[in-house]
Amino acid sequence: MGEYESESVFEVPIGPQHPALKEPAMFMFKVDGEYVVDVDANVNYNHRGMEKAAESRTYIQNLYLMERVCGICSFTHQLCFSQGVEQLLEVEAPPRAQYIRVIIGELERIHSHLLWLGVAAHEIGFDTLFYYVWRDREIVLDLLETISGNRQNYAMSTIGGVRRDITDEQTHKAFKSLKILEERTKFYQNMIPRERTILKRGVGVGVLKPADAIALCAAGPTLRMTGVKSDVRFNDPYQAYGEIPWNVVTYDTGDVVGQVMVRVGEVLEAVNISRYALQHLPTGPIRRKVPRSVPSNETVSKTEAPRGENIHYGRSNGTDKPDRWKVRAPTLANIPAVSKMLTGGYIADIPIVLAGIDPCFSCTARVAFVDVEKNKRWFWSQEELRRYGIKWYGG
Amino acid sequence: MAEAIIDKLRGNIGAENVLEVKYPMARRIFVLVKPETFKLAVSYLVNELNFKHLTTISGVDLGEEFEVIYHLNDDTNELSLKVRTPKSSPRVPTITDIVPGAALYEREIHDMFGIVPEGHPKLTKVMLPDDWPEGVYPLRKEWTIEKIRAKLDGKEEKKKDG
Amino acid sequence: MNLVKWARLKSPWLIHFNTGACNSCDIEILAALTPRYDLERFGAIIKGSPRHADVLIVSGAVTRQTRDRLRRIYEQMPDPKFVLAIGTCASSGNVFRKCYNVLEGVDKVIPVDMYVPGCPPKPEAIIHGVAQLLAKLEKGQVECCG
Repeated sequence: MGEYESESVFEVPIGPQHPALKEPAMFMFKVDGEYVVDVDANVNYNHRGMEKAAESRTYIQNLYLMERVCGICSFTHQLCFSQGVEQLLEVEAPPRAQYIRVIIGELERIHSHLLWLGVAAHEIGFDTLFYYVWRDREIVLDLLETISGNRQNYAMSTIGGVRRDITDEQTHKAFKSLKILEERTKFYQNMIPRERTILKRGVGVGVLKPADAIALCAAGPTLRMTGVKSDVRFNDPYQAYGEIPWNVVTYDTGDVVGQVMVRVGEVLEAVNISRYALQHLPTGPIRRKVPRSVPSNETVSKTEAPRGENIHYGRSNGTDKPDRWKVRAPTLANIPAVSKMLTGGYIADIPIVLAGIDPCFSCTARVAFVDVEKNKRWFWSQEELRRYGIKWYGG
Repeated sequence: MAEAIIDKLRGNIGAENVLEVKYPMARRIFVLVKPETFKLAVSYLVNELNFKHLTTISGVDLGEEFEVIYHLNDDTNELSLKVRTPKSSPRVPTITDIVPGAALYEREIHDMFGIVPEGHPKLTKVMLPDDWPEGVYPLRKEWTIEKIRAKLDGKEEKKKDG
Repeated sequence: MNLVKWARLKSPWLIHFNTGACNSCDIEILAALTPRYDLERFGAIIKGSPRHADVLIVSGAVTRQTRDRLRRIYEQMPDPKFVLAIGTCASSGNVFRKCYNVLEGVDKVIPVDMYVPGCPPKPEAIIHGVAQLLAKLEKGQVECCG
């Protein structure tokens, strides 16, 4: 594409920013009229320095830091960390703990995917669906609160097992809740492929081919919606996943509709997995004792977060603090893929295609545009971009 | 099966270039290779042995040198391919010509450690803000949190005065 | 504070800004708008522009990159204006204290009128925080800042 030098830059006064200010923008789009010709991503807005912080906290303290890498998939990070430390210690959590971890992980997947479905609906102006789905999501949040004490950041996983057990009464409530969730999700699964608003904004939009998805190292539903059958729970089973019958959900359109259908399908699978795990919960302890200090070792721990493959690389040095703890959350893996999906598409499609990878972004992130033909440069908030998309499609 | 993978690698790049191998658990391989044969190893693993998925790249500060770890996956095994580079002049060849998805991860180790991925198509900041002070690599052991903060606060004092 | 401004506050217009949060607080703020909790029955609406807002609700422990923008949004809000720090991160930094890129709380940047702790605070707690702020204003217990 070459380097674009804007000799004269016009600031289009949109939004509450000072015109001459150079502000960090999450994405910079080079556009030509209505088309995106190039995408540059920058993920620094949310950099907190957690990997450095992990080195000065004990393993126990890090349990609570790791939970907050992302609030929506907090359990999966805490699990990945706990699992990693157990691997360094060369121990395994007791069977009952492993099943409980699977249950919490799947309930989190349900909450995360329903959250996403509501947000995606909101992006295309379909607010009714947003309110319906978030109402249903309250069912799984209530269940998680009953079991763990909190709606987010459950603090359930610890090194050596889980911190709380699931009682018979909670199990009973869980079966009821899962049944309702299943009915509602089946309704969405039937409705969505027929709903005109979704089809208009979704079919053939943000297309990703399987070969590109693989070359760009995409992960999770973004990869699976191109037809590639790849899931950490399947390829590299962890905790009790190896003992539980379940199906990897893929779709083959590689577009926004694919993103939706994979996640809706995964909610139904998560209901099945949770139900099976609750029915087959082994007896026994929920936690084993582990030493505070971890002998020198290194490990790779992986889980399947709702957004995709999660990897933690950990290194211990004989003390009670890690020498190094590297975290790669799934959204980063999908940035190259989403850049590819956006290039060649309409500006109006940006909000839904970005939302399609279920990004763990700050909600107030801004995007920058450079019109290469007219030499214009401007910023938009995500809200402005969302409204532009809805208006453009005649909403 | 894991051993067979390493045997093939030895056969391809030469056994003397495969320095350390570990199989800590099922589906996990750690292997350290000599820097001169690193890119050959990547090419062989990705193109011939189907390790097409690069999960991420990790950097570790060992004191005098860095260890750069490429976590590759063939849909079953997670193979962590390690290569070392001296802190005095830290560099690795880019692998974006073999694995396009490596681009962001290479920028990340550059931001955090100062390791230069030579030949990277667009080496701009990815994790750190554009106005981050030069030479401050947060994940190097000598840059403690207190030192980093002092540097950032010092810089901000200047900004207020200026 | 005169009666006209006062009347505005009975129906507070909110603007939300995330200063580098993990998103837990943000989704509970969003949940507070859904029918189950219904923040809107207080007349509270979330607005996009600071120029129309009465109350700034802030989540996150404030990363250095977001500090200037936080300050600017606050400066662009007309008086009388009020700030709610939502979540323990926004109140004091939470688990991100002693992280090199974190400023440990909104009050390190702008004055805060009400803190709603929690990780994350439940939607009920957030609504309680807004209601408490309005009640305090009614009693004249909060200084109009800015």
